Amino acid sequence: MSISIDRRQFLMGSTALLAAAAAGVGPAMSQETRMRLIFWGGQARADRTYGVTDLYTKANPGTTFDGEFLAFADYWPKLATQTAGGNSPDVIQMDYRYIVEYANRGAIAPLDEFVGNGLNLDDFDKDQLDGGKVGGKLYGISLGANSVAIVVNQTAFEEAGIEIPNRDFSYADLPALAEQWKSKNKRAGMALWSDYSGGEPGLDNWLRQRGKPLYTADGKAGFTADDITEWFQMWADLRAAGCLVSPDDQALDATDAIENTMITLGKAPMTYANSNQLIAFQAVNQDTLTMINYPRAKPGSGGGHYRKPSMFFSLGAGSKQLPEGAKFIDFFIRDPEAGKILGVERGIPCSKAQREAIAPTLDPQSQIALDYVSNLGDLLGPLPPSPPAAAGEVGVAFKTKSQEVAFGQQSPQDAGPAFFQQATEILARAAG
Amino acid sequence: MGRAVSPSFWSQLWSRNAGGYLFLLPWFLGFFGLTLGPMISSLYLSFTNFDLLTAPDWVGPANYVRIFTSDPKFSASMRVTLFFVVFSVPLKLAFALGVALLLNRGMKGLPLYRAVFYLPSLLGASVAIAVLWRQLFAGDGVVNDALAIFGIKGPAWISNPNYSLWTLVVLSIWQFGSPMIIFLAGLRQIPVDMYEAASLDGASKWRQFWKITLPLLTPVVFFNFIIQTIEAFKSFTPAFIISGGTGNPINSTLFYTLYLYQEAFSFFRMGYASALAWILLAIVGFFTAFSFLTSKYWVHYDD
Amino acid sequence: MTTDVQRLTVVTERQTAGVKTRKRLLSILAHVLLVGASILMLYPLLWMLSSSLRPENEIFTSTSLWPSAISLDSYFRGWNGLRLSFGTFFVNSFTIAVLAIIGNLATCSLAAFAFARLEFWGRGFWFAMMLATLMLPYQVTLIPQYVLFHNLGWVNTFLPLVVPKFLAADGFFIFLMVQFFRGIPKELDEAAMMDGCSPWRIYWKILLPLSTPVLATAAIFTFIWTWDDFFGPLIYLSDIRTYTVMLGLRTFVDSSAQSDWGGLFAMSILSLLPIFLFFLFFQRLLIEGIATTGMKR
Repeated sequence: MSISIDRRQFLMGSTALLAAAAAGVGPAMSQETRMRLIFWGGQARADRTYGVTDLYTKANPGTTFDGEFLAFADYWPKLATQTAGGNSPDVIQMDYRYIVEYANRGAIAPLDEFVGNGLNLDDFDKDQLDGGKVGGKLYGISLGANSVAIVVNQTAFEEAGIEIPNRDFSYADLPALAEQWKSKNKRAGMALWSDYSGGEPGLDNWLRQRGKPLYTADGKAGFTADDITEWFQMWADLRAAGCLVSPDDQALDATDAIENTMITLGKAPMTYANSNQLIAFQAVNQDTLTMINYPRAKPGSGGGHYRKPSMFFSLGAGSKQLPEGAKFIDFFIRDPEAGKILGVERGIPCSKAQREAIAPTLDPQSQIALDYVSNLGDLLGPLPPSPPAAAGEVGVAFKTKSQEVAFGQQSPQDAGPAFFQQATEILARAAG
Repeated sequence: MGRAVSPSFWSQLWSRNAGGYLFLLPWFLGFFGLTLGPMISSLYLSFTNFDLLTAPDWVGPANYVRIFTSDPKFSASMRVTLFFVVFSVPLKLAFALGVALLLNRGMKGLPLYRAVFYLPSLLGASVAIAVLWRQLFAGDGVVNDALAIFGIKGPAWISNPNYSLWTLVVLSIWQFGSPMIIFLAGLRQIPVDMYEAASLDGASKWRQFWKITLPLLTPVVFFNFIIQTIEAFKSFTPAFIISGGTGNPINSTLFYTLYLYQEAFSFFRMGYASALAWILLAIVGFFTAFSFLTSKYWVHYDD
Repeated sequence: MTTDVQRLTVVTERQTAGVKTRKRLLSILAHVLLVGASILMLYPLLWMLSSSLRPENEIFTSTSLWPSAISLDSYFRGWNGLRLSFGTFFVNSFTIAVLAIIGNLATCSLAAFAFARLEFWGRGFWFAMMLATLMLPYQVTLIPQYVLFHNLGWVNTFLPLVVPKFLAADGFFIFLMVQFFRGIPKELDEAAMMDGCSPWRIYWKILLPLSTPVLATAAIFTFIWTWDDFFGPLIYLSDIRTYTVMLGLRTFVDSSAQSDWGGLFAMSILSLLPIFLFFLFFQRLLIEGIATTGMKR
């Protein structure tokens, strides 16, 4: 039995040690506010974010941060566990896809009472503000505006002596370009185009150009079975015309992870992505990259793109320091110095003052991203209603269905109605 | 009469059982204090619509009914898992036993070889494995480069739905270090003099293996078989890191626990996932009980 | 049988040069096989090593194992990449792993002794319960367990990762030890029982000393698995000062944003060193076990 006492003392000792370490690192302030901040991202985002929390602590002595950053895939189980355990952090980075889930279930706090009262949103972009609303209440503050974009391998196009597609380029132009590509391309094993038949953002963009939303405001499918059949048929035709990478190659890219995309793997000189990701793509690519818009559904159609909030800051519903949290968010999105540290890594800043402050400090590729989002012109449409709770599940089913078509297990004619039924069932199950 | 018996009955009860329960005391504390509660909670949650973020509501057996009547992903993921169990467990064990016999004794440099053969298992579920496996098994990967030397044109193993599951079987076999070590430890326990006696009797190496090594190793073989099978049924991480959590292409690597994980954490249906988990426990429990019942015919204990 | 005997006699009587050569050839063949297989086993390590030394934009785009340029940048950048140096994470991982070994060896062997050697009412039932704890996927007990540890005030300390080990919560090791204890001849403890030895003395003086191989095995596995464990630390540790090596490694990379792949591979290589050395050292005990067991029999 003496063993167990020793053991307990030992364990208590180690906890005490831990507590001492914790106390030793934080400044010994009497009125100390400790904020727990959680976000996903890689090394670069962490460095920038901690740069801003350090800046904030300098400006507000007495407020310190326990920051925690995780990879996207690890982030959600941890946040859900913390929330379910009644231990959610104060400031939470939130995704456009999950904000509805968290807001509807009361896991994040409405921020309306802080607007104009600690949270100054006077020069904040209206569409970005609306993007953070669920059921009319404000639950998230956009940390940057984004748009879908195609990342292009400029070097490969230059080597082949082919012009990079311009902004009027449409899916109908692909076969002709592919013929050119086949005769002039210098890279072994490189096809012209990624197979994005399973990419939900691609479908969304294409549907919007045809005047339909992916989801309606009341959380139903905005498309018909025929739309899906037509979409799959378009890709099947492109596949048959030799425009696309093989289904085998495309399946390497399971989750749009940058390191597995067709451009990084050298299978195609382009890949579907988001405008804030150019720098991240460039970091793992040797060739020079640039950015263009998604193709038009047909010549002259537009309005498919929109300025999407790349991610939000929300406040945990259980947080005991909501006003402090709001004050920190305000600093994060408005302070010019904070903006200079953050750059456009999370997207284009939504506060006009911050945006203007950072513009002269950007490196060339950040500049490309800024210009791209600012100059979408007729490609730009209104912000769609926020996606329903089960949108993620529908997206997963869509990807799987697209692979069935690509690998020849199902024809586009059968896949369209089959997916439509799947989507309807998933949405109905989540709704009731 | 009864009164006269009872003191000795109680003291007998005490003297017969106290030892066992005292030795089990730490385990009982852990079982009742840490393990049982969460297990019962998850059983309860399997009868609710728990969505992680709000309080659960009782829905009766609805989750189970749905699983058995209208969930195509349940049967699909169960098929994938059974395939994985049936192929990975025997192959991995055979490989582990073979290498353990080879690395048991009588050669130079054995410690180093053992360490090298354990190396893949050290990597565990590192993110690096995902990238590595793609480099090996993609259409233009190292494996196909090697096959090309023999004039064989291999498919895109890892991303073709017909072969992708096999790459996970290979990964499981490649990480055969743990059963190998357990086999090695088991071989160490077989007394050397038994072999010496057998050699004097003139038994060949092959015969020694069948008559001495294997019978005396059966408790360890049994252990590895049970544990590897349970682990294979619960196998999650390899598919998770290699398919990025999707189970694609075309759900060909959608392991049962991967599906369960998606339900719980991606689609916010922890109640449903709990029901899936308890069904898995029933299946694995049934299989284990069956193995224990048959074990008396082939597992030889010294006691 | 007779032919076997005859052949053996022939061999032992005249150890001909031919047989010796055959033996040597066989041994060479075995080495060639082992070296070949070793390359298969070592390839990932070589690849990780080369990835940790090469420029970041080459990691995914180049198929060659040989870097175009070699630099140790990733190691320096990775070591200090996360606000705290990796040294802290190594200390944390090491502390947790060592505590886990002590806990597992002490308490799992106690439980295993009871299951393998002692008669008591309900033994089969409790053994089945112990096995059942192995069968439920951890994903569904995660949240109730988190709530439990949170209520105990243990979240963000090492306690949720260490205390269960001191309460024999890992049935794997109990089952493993049971199988090995049952392989030890029962006459040994029956004789001791006759001499009036208590169960404790039998456990401490007879069974444990004869169990070096399985205890070494358990120590090796505990160390490696605790070191490699990712999900437990992910859920229970939030403060970066408490991070383990595995947790640190995972934060280098986010597939949707700019990551530090070079740092990941460099630190992965470093993180393999302790477990590799630990394995090399402890496998000696695996071998020493033989002498003891052999003599007692």
